[in-house]
Amino acid sequence: MRKYLFIYKSEVMSSLQYLANILFGFLGYFIMLFIFFQLWKYLYSDPDSVMNGYTMAEMVWYVIMTEILWSTLGGKNLCQKISNDVKSGNIAYNLCKPYSYIHYALFSHLGSITIKAVLYTLLGLVLGFCFLGEFPNISFLSILLWIISSIGSLAISSLFVIFIGLFSFKIEDANPFYWVYSKFILILGTIFPIEFFPKILRPILRYSPIFATTYGPANLFVHFSFQNAFRVLIAQFIYLGIAYVLCYFVYQKGVKKLNVNGG
Amino acid sequence: MSVIEVKNLQKTFRVKKKESGLKGSLKSIIKPTYRQIEAVKGIDFTVSKGEMIAFIGPNGAGKSTTIKMLTGILYPDSGDISILGLDPKKERKKLAYEIGTVFGQKEQLWTHLTPYDNFKFFGAIYDIPEEVVERKIQELKEVFELEEFLNTPVRNLSLGQRIRCEIVASLIHEPKILFLDEPTIGLDPVVKENIRSLIKRMNKEYKTTIFLTSHDVGDIEKLCKRVIIINHGELVLDDTMENLKYHYLNKKMVEAKMKEKVNLEEEEGITILKDKGYNLKIEVDTTLKSVADALKLLNPDNIVDINISNIPLENIITEIYKKEEEK
Repeated sequence: MRKYLFIYKSEVMSSLQYLANILFGFLGYFIMLFIFFQLWKYLYSDPDSVMNGYTMAEMVWYVIMTEILWSTLGGKNLCQKISNDVKSGNIAYNLCKPYSYIHYALFSHLGSITIKAVLYTLLGLVLGFCFLGEFPNISFLSILLWIISSIGSLAISSLFVIFIGLFSFKIEDANPFYWVYSKFILILGTIFPIEFFPKILRPILRYSPIFATTYGPANLFVHFSFQNAFRVLIAQFIYLGIAYVLCYFVYQKGVKKLNVNGG
Repeated sequence: MSVIEVKNLQKTFRVKKKESGLKGSLKSIIKPTYRQIEAVKGIDFTVSKGEMIAFIGPNGAGKSTTIKMLTGILYPDSGDISILGLDPKKERKKLAYEIGTVFGQKEQLWTHLTPYDNFKFFGAIYDIPEEVVERKIQELKEVFELEEFLNTPVRNLSLGQRIRCEIVASLIHEPKILFLDEPTIGLDPVVKENIRSLIKRMNKEYKTTIFLTSHDVGDIEKLCKRVIIINHGELVLDDTMENLKYHYLNKKMVEAKMKEKVNLEEEEGITILKDKGYNLKIEVDTTLKSVADALKLLNPDNIVDINISNIPLENIITEIYKKEEEK
Protein backbone atom coordinates (compact mmCIF):
# COMPACT_ATOMS: atom_id res chain seq x y z
CA MET A 1 0.00 0.00 0.00
CA ARG A 2 2.95 2.32 0.72
CA LYS A 3 3.84 2.39 -2.96
CA TYR A 4 0.34 3.48 -3.96
CA LEU A 5 0.30 6.18 -1.31
CA PHE A 6 3.62 7.36 -2.72
CA ILE A 7 2.14 7.38 -6.24
CA TYR A 8 -0.76 9.40 -4.81
CA LYS A 9 1.63 11.81 -3.07
CA SER A 10 3.77 12.19 -6.19
CA GLU A 11 0.71 13.10 -8.24
CA VAL A 12 -0.42 15.64 -5.64
CA MET A 13 3.05 17.23 -5.89
CA SER A 14 2.89 17.08 -9.67
CA SER A 15 -0.58 18.66 -9.82
CA LEU A 16 0.67 21.70 -7.92
CA GLN A 17 2.40 22.67 -11.16
CA TYR A 18 -1.01 23.12 -12.77
CA LEU A 19 -2.72 25.37 -10.24
CA ALA A 20 -3.39 27.99 -12.92
CA ASN A 21 -5.38 25.41 -14.95
CA ILE A 22 -7.53 24.62 -11.92
CA LEU A 23 -8.17 28.28 -11.19
CA PHE A 24 -9.17 28.83 -14.82
CA GLY A 25 -11.66 25.96 -14.54
CA PHE A 26 -13.38 27.90 -11.73
CA LEU A 27 -14.93 30.21 -14.30
CA GLY A 28 -16.92 27.42 -15.98
CA TYR A 29 -17.90 26.06 -12.57
CA PHE A 30 -19.14 29.47 -11.44
CA ILE A 31 -21.18 30.00 -14.62
CA MET A 32 -22.75 26.53 -14.30
CA LEU A 33 -23.78 27.11 -10.68
CA PHE A 34 -25.05 30.59 -11.40
CA ILE A 35 -27.32 29.28 -14.19
CA PHE A 36 -28.72 26.56 -11.95
CA PHE A 37 -29.23 28.99 -9.11
CA GLN A 38 -31.27 31.25 -11.41
CA LEU A 39 -33.19 28.26 -12.78
CA TRP A 40 -34.21 26.97 -9.37
CA LYS A 41 -34.99 30.50 -8.17
CA TYR A 42 -37.40 30.80 -11.09
CA LEU A 43 -38.94 27.34 -10.58
CA TYR A 44 -39.37 27.85 -6.84
CA SER A 45 -41.60 30.91 -6.90
CA ASP A 46 -41.81 30.57 -3.12
CA PRO A 47 -38.34 29.71 -1.70
CA ASP A 48 -39.94 27.90 1.27
CA SER A 49 -42.05 25.60 -0.88
CA VAL A 50 -40.97 21.98 -1.18
CA MET A 51 -40.61 20.21 -4.51
CA ASN A 52 -40.20 16.41 -4.43
CA GLY A 53 -38.81 16.67 -0.89
CA TYR A 54 -36.36 19.53 -1.60
CA THR A 55 -36.58 23.20 -0.68
CA MET A 56 -34.88 25.66 -3.02
CA ALA A 57 -31.84 25.93 -0.75
CA GLU A 58 -31.53 22.13 -0.56
CA MET A 59 -31.85 21.90 -4.31
CA VAL A 60 -29.07 24.46 -4.85
CA TRP A 61 -26.80 22.74 -2.31
CA TYR A 62 -27.52 19.39 -4.01
CA VAL A 63 -26.37 20.75 -7.37
CA ILE A 64 -23.33 22.42 -5.78
CA MET A 65 -22.27 19.12 -4.22
CA THR A 66 -22.79 17.02 -7.38
CA GLU A 67 -21.02 19.68 -9.44
CA ILE A 68 -18.04 19.57 -7.05
CA LEU A 69 -17.79 15.81 -7.67
CA TRP A 70 -18.36 16.16 -11.40
CA SER A 71 -15.86 18.99 -11.92
CA THR A 72 -13.25 17.35 -9.71
CA LEU A 73 -13.39 13.94 -11.40
CA GLY A 74 -11.99 15.06 -14.78
CA GLY A 75 -13.26 11.83 -16.30
CA LYS A 76 -12.61 12.82 -19.89
CA ASN A 77 -8.88 13.28 -19.26
CA LEU A 78 -8.64 10.03 -17.33
CA CYS A 79 -10.43 8.05 -20.05
CA GLN A 80 -8.19 9.60 -22.70
CA LYS A 81 -5.06 8.84 -20.66
CA ILE A 82 -5.98 5.17 -20.16
CA SER A 83 -7.02 4.85 -23.79
CA ASN A 84 -3.73 6.40 -24.95
CA ASP A 85 -1.74 4.16 -22.60
CA VAL A 86 -3.35 1.12 -24.21
CA LYS A 87 -3.11 2.32 -27.80
CA SER A 88 0.48 3.56 -27.57
CA GLY A 89 1.63 0.43 -25.74
CA ASN A 90 2.70 2.50 -22.71
CA ILE A 91 0.61 0.22 -20.53
CA ALA A 92 3.05 -2.59 -21.35
CA TYR A 93 5.97 -0.79 -19.75
CA ASN A 94 4.14 -0.86 -16.43
CA LEU A 95 4.15 -4.64 -16.58
CA CYS A 96 7.81 -4.85 -15.68
CA LYS A 97 7.28 -2.75 -12.56
CA PRO A 98 6.09 -4.35 -9.33
CA TYR A 99 2.71 -2.67 -9.10
CA SER A 100 -0.79 -3.17 -10.40
CA TYR A 101 -1.69 -0.90 -13.30
CA ILE A 102 -5.26 -0.48 -12.05
CA HIS A 103 -4.08 0.57 -8.57
CA TYR A 104 -1.50 2.81 -10.20
CA ALA A 105 -4.08 4.47 -12.48
CA LEU A 106 -6.55 4.89 -9.61
CA PHE A 107 -4.13 6.35 -7.07
CA SER A 108 -2.35 8.54 -9.57
CA HIS A 109 -5.69 9.95 -10.74
CA LEU A 110 -6.94 10.51 -7.19
CA GLY A 111 -3.63 12.25 -6.47
CA SER A 112 -3.98 14.48 -9.51
CA ILE A 113 -7.47 15.65 -8.47
CA THR A 114 -6.93 16.11 -4.73
CA ILE A 115 -5.95 19.79 -4.86
CA LYS A 116 -8.76 20.38 -7.34
CA ALA A 117 -11.25 18.69 -4.98
CA VAL A 118 -10.23 20.89 -2.05
CA LEU A 119 -10.35 24.10 -4.09
CA TYR A 120 -13.68 23.26 -5.75
CA THR A 121 -15.22 22.36 -2.40
CA LEU A 122 -14.12 25.66 -0.88
CA LEU A 123 -15.38 27.57 -3.91
CA GLY A 124 -18.67 25.63 -3.87
CA LEU A 125 -19.24 26.45 -0.21
CA VAL A 126 -18.45 30.13 -0.74
CA LEU A 127 -20.72 30.36 -3.81
CA GLY A 128 -23.53 28.52 -2.01
CA PHE A 129 -23.27 30.92 0.89
CA CYS A 130 -23.21 33.93 -1.44
CA PHE A 131 -26.28 32.70 -3.39
CA LEU A 132 -28.34 31.57 -0.40
CA GLY A 133 -26.95 33.56 2.52
CA GLU A 134 -26.70 30.49 4.80
CA PHE A 135 -25.26 26.99 5.15
CA PRO A 136 -27.48 23.94 5.59
CA ASN A 137 -27.80 22.40 9.03
CA ILE A 138 -24.57 20.44 9.25
CA SER A 139 -22.54 18.91 12.06
CA PHE A 140 -18.92 17.84 12.29
CA LEU A 141 -19.93 14.18 11.93
CA SER A 142 -22.13 14.83 8.90
CA ILE A 143 -19.30 16.74 7.25
CA LEU A 144 -16.88 13.91 8.00
CA LEU A 145 -19.24 11.29 6.53
CA TRP A 146 -19.87 13.52 3.52
CA ILE A 147 -16.09 13.78 2.94
CA ILE A 148 -15.69 9.99 3.24
CA SER A 149 -18.57 9.34 0.85
CA SER A 150 -17.19 11.93 -1.60
CA ILE A 151 -13.80 10.19 -1.62
CA GLY A 152 -15.65 6.90 -2.18
CA SER A 153 -17.64 8.49 -4.99
CA LEU A 154 -14.49 9.75 -6.75
CA ALA A 155 -12.78 6.38 -6.36
CA ILE A 156 -15.76 4.49 -7.85
CA SER A 157 -16.22 6.99 -10.67
CA SER A 158 -12.47 6.83 -11.46
CA LEU A 159 -12.61 3.03 -11.60
CA PHE A 160 -15.61 3.10 -13.93
CA VAL A 161 -13.78 5.54 -16.20
CA ILE A 162 -10.64 3.35 -16.10
CA PHE A 163 -12.87 0.40 -17.04
CA ILE A 164 -14.23 2.35 -20.04
CA GLY A 165 -10.71 3.49 -20.99
CA LEU A 166 -9.57 -0.14 -20.99
CA PHE A 167 -12.12 -0.87 -23.74
CA SER A 168 -9.31 0.38 -26.01
CA PHE A 169 -7.86 -3.11 -25.82
CA LYS A 170 -10.77 -4.17 -28.03
CA ILE A 171 -11.82 -1.03 -29.90
CA GLU A 172 -9.82 1.81 -31.37
CA ASP A 173 -11.34 4.65 -29.35
CA ALA A 174 -13.08 4.37 -25.98
CA ASN A 175 -14.06 8.04 -25.78
CA PRO A 176 -17.55 7.65 -27.34
CA PHE A 177 -18.38 5.14 -24.57
CA TYR A 178 -17.22 7.64 -21.99
CA TRP A 179 -19.36 10.33 -23.63
CA VAL A 180 -22.51 8.20 -23.30
CA TYR A 181 -21.63 7.21 -19.71
CA SER A 182 -20.94 10.80 -18.67
CA LYS A 183 -24.23 12.05 -20.10
CA PHE A 184 -26.15 9.40 -18.16
CA ILE A 185 -24.43 10.44 -14.93
CA LEU A 186 -24.90 14.13 -15.68
CA ILE A 187 -28.62 13.92 -16.42
CA LEU A 188 -29.68 11.14 -14.07
CA GLY A 189 -27.78 12.14 -10.96
CA THR A 190 -25.88 15.41 -11.21
CA ILE A 191 -28.42 17.99 -12.29
CA PHE A 192 -31.53 16.48 -10.71
CA PRO A 193 -31.92 14.26 -7.66
CA ILE A 194 -33.48 10.82 -8.15
CA GLU A 195 -36.79 12.06 -6.64
CA PHE A 196 -37.35 14.24 -9.72
CA PHE A 197 -37.60 11.22 -12.04
CA PRO A 198 -40.71 9.09 -12.77
CA LYS A 199 -41.60 6.60 -10.04
CA ILE A 200 -40.83 3.65 -12.30
CA LEU A 201 -37.24 4.83 -12.80
CA ARG A 202 -36.43 5.61 -9.17
CA PRO A 203 -35.75 2.06 -7.88
CA ILE A 204 -33.47 1.42 -10.86
CA LEU A 205 -31.55 4.63 -10.17
CA ARG A 206 -31.31 3.81 -6.46
CA TYR A 207 -29.55 0.55 -7.26
CA SER A 208 -27.44 2.01 -10.07
CA PRO A 209 -23.89 3.45 -9.68
CA ILE A 210 -25.56 6.88 -9.69
CA PHE A 211 -26.62 6.31 -6.08
CA ALA A 212 -23.03 5.58 -5.03
CA THR A 213 -21.33 8.23 -7.13
CA THR A 214 -23.49 11.37 -7.22
CA TYR A 215 -26.92 11.19 -5.62
CA GLY A 216 -25.82 9.46 -2.41
CA PRO A 217 -23.05 11.83 -1.24
CA ALA A 218 -24.92 14.98 -2.34
CA ASN A 219 -28.14 13.87 -0.69
CA LEU A 220 -26.16 13.11 2.45
CA PHE A 221 -25.08 16.76 2.56
CA VAL A 222 -28.63 18.11 2.30
CA HIS A 223 -30.62 15.37 4.08
CA PHE A 224 -28.17 13.91 6.56
CA SER A 225 -29.17 10.91 8.65
CA PHE A 226 -27.09 8.01 9.97
CA GLN A 227 -29.37 5.57 8.17
CA ASN A 228 -28.80 7.48 4.94
CA ALA A 229 -25.02 7.56 5.53
CA PHE A 230 -24.96 3.83 6.23
CA ARG A 231 -26.86 3.08 3.02
CA VAL A 232 -24.56 5.27 0.92
CA LEU A 233 -21.37 3.78 2.38
CA ILE A 234 -22.62 0.19 1.92
CA ALA A 235 -23.58 0.94 -1.70
CA GLN A 236 -20.18 2.50 -2.28
CA PHE A 237 -18.42 -0.48 -0.78
CA ILE A 238 -20.29 -2.83 -3.12
CA TYR A 239 -19.76 -0.65 -6.19
CA LEU A 240 -16.08 -0.20 -5.40
CA GLY A 241 -15.77 -4.00 -5.52
CA ILE A 242 -17.81 -4.30 -8.73
CA ALA A 243 -15.87 -1.54 -10.51
CA TYR A 244 -12.53 -3.02 -9.46
CA VAL A 245 -13.47 -6.54 -10.60
CA LEU A 246 -14.63 -5.16 -13.98
CA CYS A 247 -11.32 -3.29 -14.44
CA TYR A 248 -9.30 -6.30 -13.36
CA PHE A 249 -11.15 -8.61 -15.74
CA VAL A 250 -10.77 -6.35 -18.80
CA TYR A 251 -7.13 -5.59 -17.95
CA GLN A 252 -6.13 -9.24 -17.49
CA LYS A 253 -7.78 -10.21 -20.75
CA GLY A 254 -6.25 -7.23 -22.55
CA VAL A 255 -2.60 -7.63 -21.50
CA LYS A 256 -2.53 -11.23 -22.66
CA LYS A 257 -3.25 -10.05 -26.18
CA LEU A 258 -1.10 -6.97 -25.90
CA ASN A 259 0.75 -6.11 -29.06
CA VAL A 260 3.60 -3.68 -28.53
CA ASN A 261 5.38 -2.26 -31.52
CA GLY A 262 9.00 -3.33 -31.63
CA GLY A 263 12.02 -1.09 -32.00
CA MET B 1 25.99 -19.86 -13.66
CA SER B 2 23.29 -18.86 -16.17
CA VAL B 3 21.00 -16.04 -15.17
CA ILE B 4 19.10 -15.98 -18.47
CA GLU B 5 18.05 -19.16 -20.25
CA VAL B 6 16.00 -19.03 -23.42
CA LYS B 7 14.82 -22.16 -25.21
CA ASN B 8 12.97 -22.28 -28.51
CA LEU B 9 11.33 -18.90 -27.94
CA GLN B 10 8.63 -17.98 -30.45
CA LYS B 11 6.31 -15.05 -30.96
CA THR B 12 3.93 -14.37 -33.83
CA PHE B 13 1.91 -11.19 -34.24
CA ARG B 14 -1.43 -11.02 -36.02
CA VAL B 15 -1.63 -7.83 -38.05
CA LYS B 16 -4.75 -6.56 -39.78
CA LYS B 17 -4.40 -6.39 -43.55
CA LYS B 18 -5.96 -3.45 -45.34
CA GLU B 19 -6.18 -2.78 -49.03
CA SER B 20 -5.65 0.79 -50.16
CA GLY B 21 -8.44 3.30 -50.77
CA LEU B 22 -11.98 3.71 -49.47
CA LYS B 23 -13.07 0.34 -50.87
CA GLY B 24 -10.25 -1.36 -49.01
CA SER B 25 -11.18 0.44 -45.78
CA LEU B 26 -14.83 -0.66 -46.05
CA LYS B 27 -13.80 -4.21 -46.89
CA SER B 28 -11.54 -4.37 -43.86
CA ILE B 29 -14.49 -3.43 -41.62
CA ILE B 30 -16.91 -5.97 -43.12
CA LYS B 31 -14.50 -8.81 -43.66
CA PRO B 32 -11.20 -8.16 -41.91
CA THR B 33 -8.25 -10.25 -42.98
CA TYR B 34 -5.11 -10.77 -40.99
CA ARG B 35 -1.56 -11.81 -41.74
CA GLN B 36 0.80 -13.54 -39.37
CA ILE B 37 4.20 -12.01 -38.71
CA GLU B 38 6.69 -14.34 -37.13
CA ALA B 39 8.71 -11.89 -35.05
CA VAL B 40 10.77 -14.50 -33.17
CA LYS B 41 11.26 -17.98 -34.61
CA GLY B 42 12.53 -20.34 -31.96
CA ILE B 43 15.69 -18.80 -30.55
CA ASP B 44 17.96 -20.31 -27.87
CA PHE B 45 20.69 -18.70 -25.78
CA THR B 46 21.98 -18.38 -22.25
CA VAL B 47 23.64 -15.50 -20.41
CA SER B 48 25.94 -15.95 -17.44
CA LYS B 49 26.03 -13.89 -14.28
CA GLY B 50 27.97 -10.62 -14.63
CA GLU B 51 28.16 -10.80 -18.44
CA MET B 52 27.72 -7.72 -20.60
CA ILE B 53 26.00 -8.92 -23.71
CA ALA B 54 25.01 -7.08 -26.88
CA PHE B 55 21.81 -8.29 -28.47
CA ILE B 56 21.72 -6.68 -31.88
CA GLY B 57 20.02 -6.83 -35.23
CA PRO B 58 18.56 -4.57 -37.92
CA ASN B 59 15.17 -2.91 -37.47
CA GLY B 60 12.37 -5.45 -37.34
CA ALA B 61 14.77 -8.31 -36.55
CA GLY B 62 12.90 -9.28 -33.38
CA LYS B 63 15.28 -7.94 -30.74
CA SER B 64 12.82 -5.62 -29.01
CA THR B 65 10.16 -8.33 -29.06
CA THR B 66 12.66 -10.68 -27.43
CA ILE B 67 13.65 -8.16 -24.74
CA LYS B 68 9.98 -7.52 -24.03
CA MET B 69 9.35 -11.24 -23.59
CA LEU B 70 12.38 -11.53 -21.30
CA THR B 71 11.13 -8.71 -19.10
CA GLY B 72 7.55 -9.98 -18.94
CA ILE B 73 6.01 -7.25 -21.09
CA LEU B 74 4.94 -9.65 -23.85
CA TYR B 75 3.69 -13.21 -23.60
CA PRO B 76 5.61 -15.66 -25.80
CA ASP B 77 3.59 -18.05 -27.99
CA SER B 78 5.84 -20.95 -27.10
CA GLY B 79 9.24 -21.76 -25.69
CA ASP B 80 10.77 -21.38 -22.26
CA ILE B 81 12.33 -18.39 -20.56
CA SER B 82 14.04 -18.51 -17.22
CA ILE B 83 15.36 -15.27 -15.74
CA LEU B 84 17.13 -15.91 -12.45
CA GLY B 85 15.06 -19.09 -12.24
CA LEU B 86 11.79 -17.19 -12.71
CA ASP B 87 9.31 -17.50 -15.56
CA PRO B 88 8.43 -13.95 -16.74
CA LYS B 89 5.05 -15.16 -17.97
CA LYS B 90 3.94 -16.52 -14.63
CA GLU B 91 6.06 -14.63 -12.11
CA ARG B 92 6.11 -11.17 -13.61
CA LYS B 93 5.81 -9.26 -10.35
CA LYS B 94 8.45 -11.33 -8.58
CA LEU B 95 10.75 -10.85 -11.56
CA ALA B 96 10.20 -7.08 -11.52
CA TYR B 97 12.01 -6.89 -8.16
CA GLU B 98 15.06 -8.64 -9.64
CA ILE B 99 15.53 -6.83 -12.94
CA GLY B 100 15.91 -3.25 -14.10
CA THR B 101 14.85 -1.88 -17.46
CA VAL B 102 15.81 1.22 -19.40
CA PHE B 103 14.05 1.80 -22.69
CA GLY B 104 15.88 4.69 -24.34
CA GLN B 105 12.77 5.77 -26.23
CA LYS B 106 10.36 5.52 -23.30
CA GLU B 107 10.45 7.80 -20.30
CA GLN B 108 9.85 6.12 -17.00
CA LEU B 109 10.56 9.15 -14.84
CA TRP B 110 7.85 11.59 -13.77
CA THR B 111 8.79 14.72 -15.64
CA HIS B 112 7.27 17.18 -13.15
CA LEU B 113 9.23 15.74 -10.25
CA THR B 114 12.91 16.13 -9.52
CA PRO B 115 15.27 13.15 -9.97
CA TYR B 116 15.48 12.93 -6.16
CA ASP B 117 11.68 12.61 -5.79
CA ASN B 118 11.63 10.15 -8.69
CA PHE B 119 14.24 7.96 -6.98
CA LYS B 120 12.23 8.06 -3.75
CA PHE B 121 9.19 7.07 -5.79
CA PHE B 122 11.01 4.11 -7.35
CA GLY B 123 12.26 3.12 -3.91
CA ALA B 124 8.66 3.06 -2.70
CA ILE B 125 7.34 0.97 -5.58
CA TYR B 126 10.07 -1.59 -4.95
CA ASP B 127 9.16 -1.66 -1.23
CA ILE B 128 12.61 -0.49 -0.10
CA PRO B 129 12.79 1.07 3.38
CA GLU B 130 13.23 4.85 3.22
CA GLU B 131 16.62 4.95 4.94
CA VAL B 132 17.95 2.34 2.47
CA VAL B 133 16.63 4.38 -0.48
CA GLU B 134 18.25 7.50 0.93
CA ARG B 135 21.59 5.71 1.27
CA LYS B 136 21.31 4.28 -2.24
CA ILE B 137 20.50 7.70 -3.73
CA GLN B 138 23.58 9.20 -2.05
CA GLU B 139 25.72 6.35 -3.38
CA LEU B 140 24.39 6.49 -6.96
CA LYS B 141 24.52 10.28 -6.92
CA GLU B 142 28.30 10.01 -6.53
CA VAL B 143 28.76 7.24 -9.11
CA PHE B 144 26.59 8.89 -11.76
CA GLU B 145 27.58 12.48 -10.89
CA LEU B 146 24.04 13.75 -10.37
CA GLU B 147 24.72 16.33 -7.65
CA GLU B 148 24.32 19.31 -9.98
CA PHE B 149 20.76 18.51 -11.10
CA LEU B 150 19.39 16.18 -8.42
CA ASN B 151 16.78 18.74 -7.42
CA THR B 152 15.87 20.08 -10.87
CA PRO B 153 12.55 18.90 -12.36
CA VAL B 154 13.19 16.14 -14.92
CA ARG B 155 11.47 18.14 -17.68
CA ASN B 156 14.26 20.74 -17.41
CA LEU B 157 17.10 18.24 -17.79
CA SER B 158 19.12 17.63 -20.95
CA LEU B 159 18.68 14.27 -22.69
CA GLY B 160 22.02 13.01 -21.38
CA GLN B 161 21.16 14.00 -17.80
CA ARG B 162 17.75 12.37 -18.15
CA ILE B 163 19.19 9.09 -19.42
CA ARG B 164 21.62 9.07 -16.49
CA CYS B 165 18.66 9.52 -14.14
CA GLU B 166 16.71 6.80 -15.98
CA ILE B 167 19.57 4.38 -15.39
CA VAL B 168 19.85 5.37 -11.73
CA ALA B 169 16.08 4.94 -11.30
CA SER B 170 16.39 1.40 -12.64
CA LEU B 171 19.24 0.66 -10.20
CA ILE B 172 17.58 1.83 -6.98
CA HIS B 173 16.39 -1.69 -6.16
CA GLU B 174 19.81 -3.21 -6.98
CA PRO B 175 18.67 -5.39 -9.89
CA LYS B 176 20.69 -8.44 -10.73
CA ILE B 177 20.09 -7.97 -14.46
CA LEU B 178 19.74 -4.69 -16.29
CA PHE B 179 18.02 -4.64 -19.68
CA LEU B 180 19.10 -1.61 -21.68
CA ASP B 181 17.17 -1.02 -24.88
CA GLU B 182 19.08 1.59 -26.91
CA PRO B 183 20.20 3.62 -23.90
CA THR B 184 22.35 6.06 -25.87
CA ILE B 185 19.88 6.88 -28.64
CA GLY B 186 19.94 10.57 -29.56
CA LEU B 187 22.93 11.44 -27.35
CA ASP B 188 26.01 13.36 -28.47
CA PRO B 189 29.38 11.49 -28.59
CA VAL B 190 30.68 12.96 -25.32
CA VAL B 191 27.55 12.06 -23.34
CA LYS B 192 27.46 8.62 -25.01
CA GLU B 193 30.99 7.99 -23.81
CA ASN B 194 30.05 9.14 -20.34
CA ILE B 195 27.03 6.81 -20.20
CA ARG B 196 29.14 3.91 -21.46
CA SER B 197 31.79 4.37 -18.80
CA LEU B 198 29.06 4.56 -16.14
CA ILE B 199 27.49 1.32 -17.38
CA LYS B 200 30.92 -0.33 -17.31
CA ARG B 201 31.52 0.93 -13.79
CA MET B 202 28.12 -0.34 -12.69
CA ASN B 203 28.87 -3.79 -14.09
CA LYS B 204 32.21 -3.81 -12.32
CA GLU B 205 31.07 -2.43 -8.97
CA TYR B 206 27.69 -4.10 -8.60
CA LYS B 207 28.33 -7.20 -10.75
CA THR B 208 25.12 -6.41 -12.62
CA THR B 209 24.49 -8.52 -15.72
CA ILE B 210 23.92 -6.19 -18.67
CA PHE B 211 21.68 -7.15 -21.58
CA LEU B 212 22.07 -4.40 -24.15
CA THR B 213 20.37 -3.72 -27.46
CA SER B 214 21.71 -0.87 -29.54
CA HIS B 215 22.22 0.23 -33.11
CA ASP B 216 25.30 2.11 -31.99
CA VAL B 217 28.38 0.05 -32.74
CA GLY B 218 30.33 2.12 -30.21
CA ASP B 219 28.05 0.89 -27.40
CA ILE B 220 28.55 -2.70 -28.46
CA GLU B 221 32.29 -2.46 -29.06
CA LYS B 222 33.13 -0.57 -25.91
CA LEU B 223 30.82 -2.35 -23.50
CA CYS B 224 30.27 -5.96 -24.49
CA LYS B 225 32.48 -9.00 -24.63
CA ARG B 226 29.84 -11.12 -26.29
CA VAL B 227 27.44 -10.41 -29.10
CA ILE B 228 24.26 -12.12 -30.23
CA ILE B 229 22.94 -11.14 -33.64
CA ILE B 230 19.32 -11.72 -34.53
CA ASN B 231 17.75 -11.25 -37.94
CA HIS B 232 14.30 -12.20 -39.25
CA GLY B 233 13.54 -13.61 -35.81
CA GLU B 234 16.43 -16.11 -35.88
CA LEU B 235 19.81 -16.11 -34.19
CA VAL B 236 22.48 -15.68 -36.81
CA LEU B 237 25.49 -15.34 -34.55
CA ASP B 238 26.38 -15.89 -30.91
CA ASP B 239 30.08 -15.29 -30.37
CA THR B 240 32.63 -13.31 -28.41
CA MET B 241 33.40 -9.82 -29.59
CA GLU B 242 37.03 -10.88 -30.12
CA ASN B 243 36.06 -13.72 -32.46
CA LEU B 244 33.66 -11.51 -34.29
CA LYS B 245 36.24 -8.80 -34.85
CA TYR B 246 39.30 -10.86 -35.64
CA HIS B 247 38.15 -14.20 -36.99
CA TYR B 248 34.71 -13.89 -38.43
CA LEU B 249 35.73 -12.04 -41.55
CA ASN B 250 39.54 -12.35 -41.36
CA LYS B 251 40.02 -9.09 -43.09
CA LYS B 252 42.38 -6.16 -42.57
CA MET B 253 42.17 -2.73 -44.01
CA VAL B 254 45.33 -1.13 -45.45
CA GLU B 255 45.43 2.57 -46.24
CA ALA B 256 48.63 3.69 -47.96
CA LYS B 257 50.08 6.86 -49.45
CA MET B 258 52.36 5.86 -52.36
CA LYS B 259 55.26 7.45 -54.21
CA GLU B 260 54.22 5.73 -57.42
CA LYS B 261 50.95 4.26 -58.63
CA VAL B 262 50.49 0.51 -58.08
CA ASN B 263 48.15 -1.80 -59.93
CA LEU B 264 46.64 -4.40 -57.62
CA GLU B 265 43.67 -5.36 -59.77
CA GLU B 266 43.00 -9.07 -60.15
CA GLU B 267 45.25 -9.86 -57.16
CA GLU B 268 43.70 -12.71 -55.19
CA GLY B 269 42.66 -11.80 -51.64
CA ILE B 270 42.79 -8.06 -52.23
CA THR B 271 39.79 -5.83 -52.76
CA ILE B 272 40.41 -2.23 -53.75
CA LEU B 273 38.12 0.00 -51.71
CA LYS B 274 39.50 3.34 -52.89
CA ASP B 275 42.13 4.19 -55.50
CA LYS B 276 42.90 7.87 -55.94
CA GLY B 277 46.20 7.48 -57.72
CA TYR B 278 48.75 7.87 -54.95
CA ASN B 279 46.26 7.20 -52.14
CA LEU B 280 45.11 3.63 -51.89
CA LYS B 281 42.68 1.83 -49.60
CA ILE B 282 42.54 -1.95 -49.86
CA GLU B 283 40.97 -4.82 -47.95
CA VAL B 284 43.10 -7.90 -47.43
CA ASP B 285 41.45 -11.28 -46.91
CA THR B 286 44.03 -12.94 -44.64
CA THR B 287 42.74 -16.42 -45.41
CA LEU B 288 43.93 -15.95 -49.00
CA LYS B 289 46.83 -13.56 -48.63
CA SER B 290 48.87 -12.48 -45.62
CA VAL B 291 49.28 -8.79 -44.83
CA ALA B 292 53.05 -9.20 -45.37
CA ASP B 293 52.42 -10.46 -48.92
CA ALA B 294 50.06 -7.60 -49.58
CA LEU B 295 52.74 -5.12 -48.42
CA LYS B 296 55.29 -6.78 -50.70
CA LEU B 297 52.95 -6.12 -53.62
CA LEU B 298 52.83 -2.47 -52.64
CA ASN B 299 56.65 -2.43 -52.41
CA PRO B 300 57.78 -1.05 -49.02
CA ASP B 301 60.21 1.43 -50.69
CA ASN B 302 57.25 2.90 -52.54
CA ILE B 303 55.25 3.60 -49.37
CA VAL B 304 55.23 7.16 -47.93
CA ASP B 305 52.73 6.49 -45.16
CA ILE B 306 50.69 3.47 -44.13
CA ASN B 307 47.89 2.54 -41.74
CA ILE B 308 46.81 -1.06 -41.14
CA SER B 309 43.60 -1.56 -39.20
CA ASN B 310 40.91 -4.05 -38.48
CA ILE B 311 37.70 -3.80 -40.42
CA PRO B 312 35.35 -1.53 -38.43
CA LEU B 313 32.85 -3.53 -36.43
CA GLU B 314 30.07 -1.64 -38.16
CA ASN B 315 31.17 -3.08 -41.54
CA ILE B 316 31.38 -6.58 -40.09
CA ILE B 317 27.88 -6.36 -38.66
CA THR B 318 26.49 -4.88 -41.88
CA GLU B 319 28.18 -7.73 -43.77
CA ILE B 320 26.51 -10.30 -41.50
CA TYR B 321 23.11 -8.63 -41.91
CA LYS B 322 23.59 -8.57 -45.70
CA LYS B 323 24.64 -12.21 -45.86
CA GLU B 324 21.48 -13.14 -44.02
CA GLU B 325 19.37 -11.07 -46.40
CA GLU B 326 20.91 -12.92 -49.37
CA LYS B 327 20.11 -16.36 -47.94
